[in-house]
Order: sequence, then C-alpha cells, then structure tokens
Amino acid sequence: MPAFNRRTFMKTGLAGSAFLASLDVALLGSAGAQDGAPKKGGTLSYAQLSANRRSADATNARHPYFIVDANTRLQWNCLTWVDEKLGWQLEAASKVEPTDDKLNVWDVTLREGVLFHNGREMTSEDVASSFAYHRLNAPFARQIVKIEPVSKYVTRFTLEGGNAEFPYILAEYNSVIMPAADAKTIGMDGIGSGPFRIVATDPNRSVIMERFDGYWRKGLPLLDRVEVHNREGQQESALNGLRSGQFDAVLNIDARAAAQFASDAAYDIETAKGGYSFVIQLPKHPGSPFLDKRVRQAFAYAIDRDAIVRIAYGGKYGWVGNDSHLMVTDPAYVVRQGGRDIARARKLLAEAGYPNGITLPTLYWSPQLPEAGRYFQVVQQSAKEAGIVFAIEERPNDGYIQFRTGDNDLSKGNFHKFAMTAVGSRNPGISLFRMRDAFVESGHWRGPEHDQYIALYRQAMVTPDAGKRKAIYAEMQKILHEEVPAILPAGGDTFLVKRKNIRNMPYHPQIWSIRFDEVWKA
Amino acid sequence: MLSAVLRRVFLSLLTLFFLAAFIFAATEILPGDALDVTLSADEMAMMPPERLAEMKRDLGLDRPAVERLGAFLLGVAQLDFGRTIISRAPVVDIVAYPLRNSLLLAGAVIVTALPLALILGVSAARWYRRPLDNVVSTGVIVGYSVPEFVIGTFLVMLFAVTWPLFPATITASTRDPALTLLAAAPLPVATILIGSIAYLARILRVGMVDALASDFVERLRLMGVPEWRVLLLHALPAAVVPSLMATALYAAALVSGIVVVELVFAYPGLGQELVRAVTRREVHVIQAIALASAAIVVVFNLLADLAILALDPRTRM
Repeated sequence: MPAFNRRTFMKTGLAGSAFLASLDVALLGSAGAQDGAPKKGGTLSYAQLSANRRSADATNARHPYFIVDANTRLQWNCLTWVDEKLGWQLEAASKVEPTDDKLNVWDVTLREGVLFHNGREMTSEDVASSFAYHRLNAPFARQIVKIEPVSKYVTRFTLEGGNAEFPYILAEYNSVIMPAADAKTIGMDGIGSGPFRIVATDPNRSVIMERFDGYWRKGLPLLDRVEVHNREGQQESALNGLRSGQFDAVLNIDARAAAQFASDAAYDIETAKGGYSFVIQLPKHPGSPFLDKRVRQAFAYAIDRDAIVRIAYGGKYGWVGNDSHLMVTDPAYVVRQGGRDIARARKLLAEAGYPNGITLPTLYWSPQLPEAGRYFQVVQQSAKEAGIVFAIEERPNDGYIQFRTGDNDLSKGNFHKFAMTAVGSRNPGISLFRMRDAFVESGHWRGPEHDQYIALYRQAMVTPDAGKRKAIYAEMQKILHEEVPAILPAGGDTFLVKRKNIRNMPYHPQIWSIRFDEVWKA
Repeated sequence: MLSAVLRRVFLSLLTLFFLAAFIFAATEILPGDALDVTLSADEMAMMPPERLAEMKRDLGLDRPAVERLGAFLLGVAQLDFGRTIISRAPVVDIVAYPLRNSLLLAGAVIVTALPLALILGVSAARWYRRPLDNVVSTGVIVGYSVPEFVIGTFLVMLFAVTWPLFPATITASTRDPALTLLAAAPLPVATILIGSIAYLARILRVGMVDALASDFVERLRLMGVPEWRVLLLHALPAAVVPSLMATALYAAALVSGIVVVELVFAYPGLGQELVRAVTRREVHVIQAIALASAAIVVVFNLLADLAILALDPRTRM
C-alpha cells in the first residue's frame, strides 16, 4: 500500500481542485467570458480601517460629519470631485467659475435634476444652507464670507481673498450638499443625493446603504447595497473577515498586510501612491517649549525619517516628509535639505537652554492607520538619541478629533494637544493653507515668517498661472523647512485588498473620494 | 424561610448601595474628580485656574462631595447616570444595548456550559481515577489554562478561515434583535464556553468525588439502591450545593470578564464600550458599567443564596 504523505495529499488535492474547476466551467461557463460586461446587483461589504474620527451617538450617526466612514461620496454629493490624479471635476455642479480675475467671487451652477433621496430636487437654497453650516464647522470652508442663491440653480460664493484653487474646497468630504434646514438640524436625517441612501446606522460601528434609484448619474450605481464596518485598530479582525468571506474588501491595510496578500491569487491589492502622512502638531501656547524655534528645529533634525520609512512602510511603500502637508507625489513638493543630524539637534537644544536634553509633554497618537503604532515608536526612540524625551500615549480614534483639538479657545486657556493626526493627499492650495496661524495643525504658528508665508499663499491664490504658483509654493516650503511650525516626518502609500470578483474599484489617494458608483460584483 | 429570603434581599440592596457609593468615591473623589480624570496632565498644568473652576461648575463638580453622592445615588435609583462628558449623550443610551448584548453572550454560555459541565463532572467522578477521569481532568486543565484570545484566534482560523462555517467577526449591529446577535456569535460563545466548561466541570467533579466518598452514599449502596439513583438523586444534589456559590461568582465574573473575547470578535458588548470609555476617560460611562457589573455579581449571589436556601434546609435556620 503506498504511503499517504504530504506529497500525495497535495497531488490529490490539486487533482480534485482541477476536476471541480473544470466541472464549474462545464456547468456555469467560463467566468472570464462574463468578466467584460459590468453586472448590476449584489452587496458590497467592506471593512474600513481608517474611519471617521468624530465620535457619533444615536442622535447624529447619520450626519455627514459623524457617519462611520469619512467617505461621504456614498451618500452625498459635493459640487465638485477630486479624481484619482488629484485634478478636480464637476459633480453636482455643471459649472464653477470665478466672476472676475480677482478670483474671490465664484458662481456655481447646479446640474438640473439632481434629486435628494427624499425625491426633492437640489437647488441653490440647499447649497447656501449647506455652506452656511460648513463655514461654521469645517476649517476649509471658513474662507467663505458670503453665500447667496442667485437663481434656482446658481449660487454665488464670496471669499475673504482670491483663491485659484477654490473648486478643490468644494470637493472636500465635509462640503456635501444637504437639504436646506437650520444649523441645528441640517444633515441629521442622513438624506443626500449620492448613489446610496442610508437604511441603518450603528454609531461608530457600521452603516448600511441601498441603491438610490433616482441618482443623477443614470444607470448607476451598479451595486444594490453597500455595508461599511468600522474595524479601526483591528486589522487582523478585518482581514479574518475578508478571508472568511464576510467582507469583500478591506480599506487602508498597512504595507505588511498588502505584501502578504499580493502573493495570494484570491485577492487583488489596489495601491494609492502618495496616500497619507502624519502631522505632529507643536502647540505654541504660553509656556510651551515649542515657542522656541530652535527646539522645533532640533526635533526635526532628531527624527530618523528613513527608519520610519523602513520600519512602518517596509521601505518601498514609504517616503520622507518635508514638514509641509504636501505629499511626495505632488509636483510642487520640495525636498527638505539637511536630513537627520543628531549633533546639530543637540547644538540647537543647547542654544535654546537645554544642554542636557529636554523633556517634552506627552505625544498623543491614535490608530488612524494600522502602521501608526510602529511609526510613533520610531519617532519617540529616534528623538531620544538627541536628548529629546517624551512619553507617547495612544488614544482611541473614536472622538480623537475632539480630544486633539479641544475647543481650542486660547483666550479661555483651552489648548490643543501635542498630538498627531493623519493627513491626506490634497492640492497644494489646501495643503499649504493648513499651516496658517488660525489652524490647530500649525500649533497656531505666528510671527513675521508666518506673515510672509501667508502673504505668499495669498499671492499664489490669485496667480492663475500654475507654473508661477508652483514657484511660490516652493518658497513657502522653504519657510516651513526653516521655521518647522509642525513636523511631518514621513508618509506612505495606502492600500485596499479586495476579492477578485469585485471589479472596477480602483483606490484613490484621497480615501474619502473613492466613488463606488461603478463598482460591480462578478 | 420568608424572613431568611427577606434578610438576603435586604443585604443585597445594602451591598449595592455601598458599592454605588464606593464606585462614586473611586471615580470622582479619589484621587481627583471626573474633570481631573478626563483632562490630561499637560492640560491641567496649562489651564488657568479660573477656566478650570468654570468647567467644574459646568459639570456640577463644585458642589460638596456628599451632595454629589446624593445626586448620584438618586440618579442610579432612577437609572439615570447623567451624560457623557464629550458628546453630552445620555449614558443610559450608550450602555443599555451593550449590557443586553453581554448578558446575552454570558447567558448563552451559561445555558450551554452548565449541562455539559454537569455531564463531564459527574462522569469523571463516577469513574474516578479511571481513563475517563484522566481524560476529563487533563482536558479541564488544558481548557482552563489556555487564554481566551488564543482559543478565539484558533477557532477563527479553523472554523471561519480554513472552513468558513461561522463568521470570523461580528457584523451585526448593537441594537439588532437578540437572536440575530446570537446567530452571528457561535465562535465567541464557543471561545468562552471552553474555559467555562473546564472551570465548572472541575468544581462539580471535586464536589461529586467528595459526595460519592461520603458515608450516606456508602449506606445507600449497601441498601442496594441502583447506582444511577445514588448518583443523580442523592450524590448530585449534595455536590451541587457547595458548587452553587462558585458557579454564581463565575457567572457574574463572566459578564465583566468577556472583554477580550468581545474585542477579538468585535462583539458589540459591554467590554468594547468599557475599553472605549476608559480610553476616552468618560467617567460617567465607566461608573455605569462598573455599577452594572457589580449589580450582576450581587444578583447572581442572591440567586445562589436563594437556591441554597431551597436545596439545603439547614441554611433556613
């Protein structure tokens, strides 16, 4: 009797699999033959590893600011959309244009026939009402000083200054159009004009949606139902759900998991180059050590950015940051000179009055992306080599935005934290504007260099020529390299893993801008 | 009998009162109040005293501790635990469904574990120091020693990934009907079940071995009473009484001790909510969960006491 060993088992198994596969083809036809034509119907169930950082409860879980997944393109529309190459396109709007070359007044014309999930047509009243809310609650929209409905479909936006890249503001994930209502109730019903309407939510946990038949992109979406499950900080649980067939896809897996799944024939990995980085905000409130530029510079020189790329991103999937919000993939990105320099860091600390090193406050982080834990351990350990000592403490994603920023009213003594947050890919105008004094991520950076930075920003925003704007952006980044209002040590690509039968689901450098309209299930 | 029951009910209520006062003191008075716990050390250091005082006033923390304790106990009596510090949502709304879900999970485990542990414990004792006893005893030690997260991960790899028979992670919602949640949770139940059966079978086996070696069993055997009657009708009740209190304590500990399993399977229970509340420093949610857990311990102890009263006439004296 022949021995039944591992080799026999493998051969028998493979022969059996081949037989079953041929039986499948004979009975059902070739799957390849059916691949070309998109198919309607089916449910897409995915796990999100980088969900919304605002804590929701039963009262606000349907609101676009608090919904489980920050990808609000499922349920709502914005006036514009940012595509995979980070160019802007029209979405609910049919026309977006400045009224003159000062670029501070923009007229936005809506498409006709865009319906909300309640069957009512979207009008300029809804646009005005939505942006009245956004300008009070979303940092990017605060530059809007006036919003006026001009006609049924035309809305006029007046900005505090010219902004050549204003259409990108209209595409931000918070900038969705909701049915007009007062500021206290708008958005609470979860009604949008997106391809899917909300049927159920579980605060901070899941959202279930069904196809909206009145969607303005005719014939879309292709899926009947989408289920989103929050598995932040639980990558293994999400991947087990994928392996067991519960999930069709997992969004924002880390580089290690991506490498693991890349060699598995049952799954596809989709990559978004550039992806994400992390900003470490350095609070500059009275008494803060970060008021001294030399301490900030020392910190920037002390961090081993190459080690972060190597350890958190497996080398090839990461890139070194330049302490601006720009991603390495952005053509306007300027490399920060100097690299890691421990001796220089120590010298700067000594000049600042810390010859024996400095102990900083606790640095808070949250698992907004799976690699965050490894990332901030490298930051902590490498800074220690230059005599910069601090504790790191993990906080939950749920409610992190409120925790990190607090109500941040300096006059009341409410200070934001020495803390990180994830930063996504955006156009240079939005990215570089994040270092303004009025924004928490700059740690409320002030002074003549800041004023010069903002003057350059204002100049860029009224410069229609993209090449000239790029030169101004380079100057702005050089100021950041010298001033270090915040530190953005490194970033990495982002990945989604999906089953082979999920089609037409490319990833997006802005994870909140993925469109599921044309995704289908074979 | 009635006075014994009333005495135990009164003692349970008194215990609950002291527990509530202790939880309040531990979370709001020692070493600081809810605000001290909620704010980071850096924030406390940087915040102007007048702003701190204003925040304390907003949260009612400027009132004397006794007055706040009174308000807390009054609230507890009305099942009102106040609102969360960050989102100002009612704590009861946040805790109610996770509590139900954890009780559901624990209930399913107990209902399944008790008969299985009974069969194993009685069988092992009946064939004491024979091969069956050796197998059960070894299995019990293994089942009791292996951490639940290891068992959970093993079960997921086996029954969700290799053979996709059960869900690897719970996608049911917090407010789904009980049966929907239970249908989605065979692996979490199995994970806790293994340790539970091991613990309960061990206790029952010891009780049964003692009972079977006692004089009254010997006398019954000499009288020619059939072995199954000796085992089930005489030895088992005698073994169950001392096991009841341990079982009650175990059942109570189960509810508060399934945090790890809930996290491994993303089960929407009290464990997940507790971890979230602790990391967000939501003191009122922590108080509510701590009190709910304490109440469960007290209730299970009361039930065990009442059962012992019913089964053992000597305790009614």
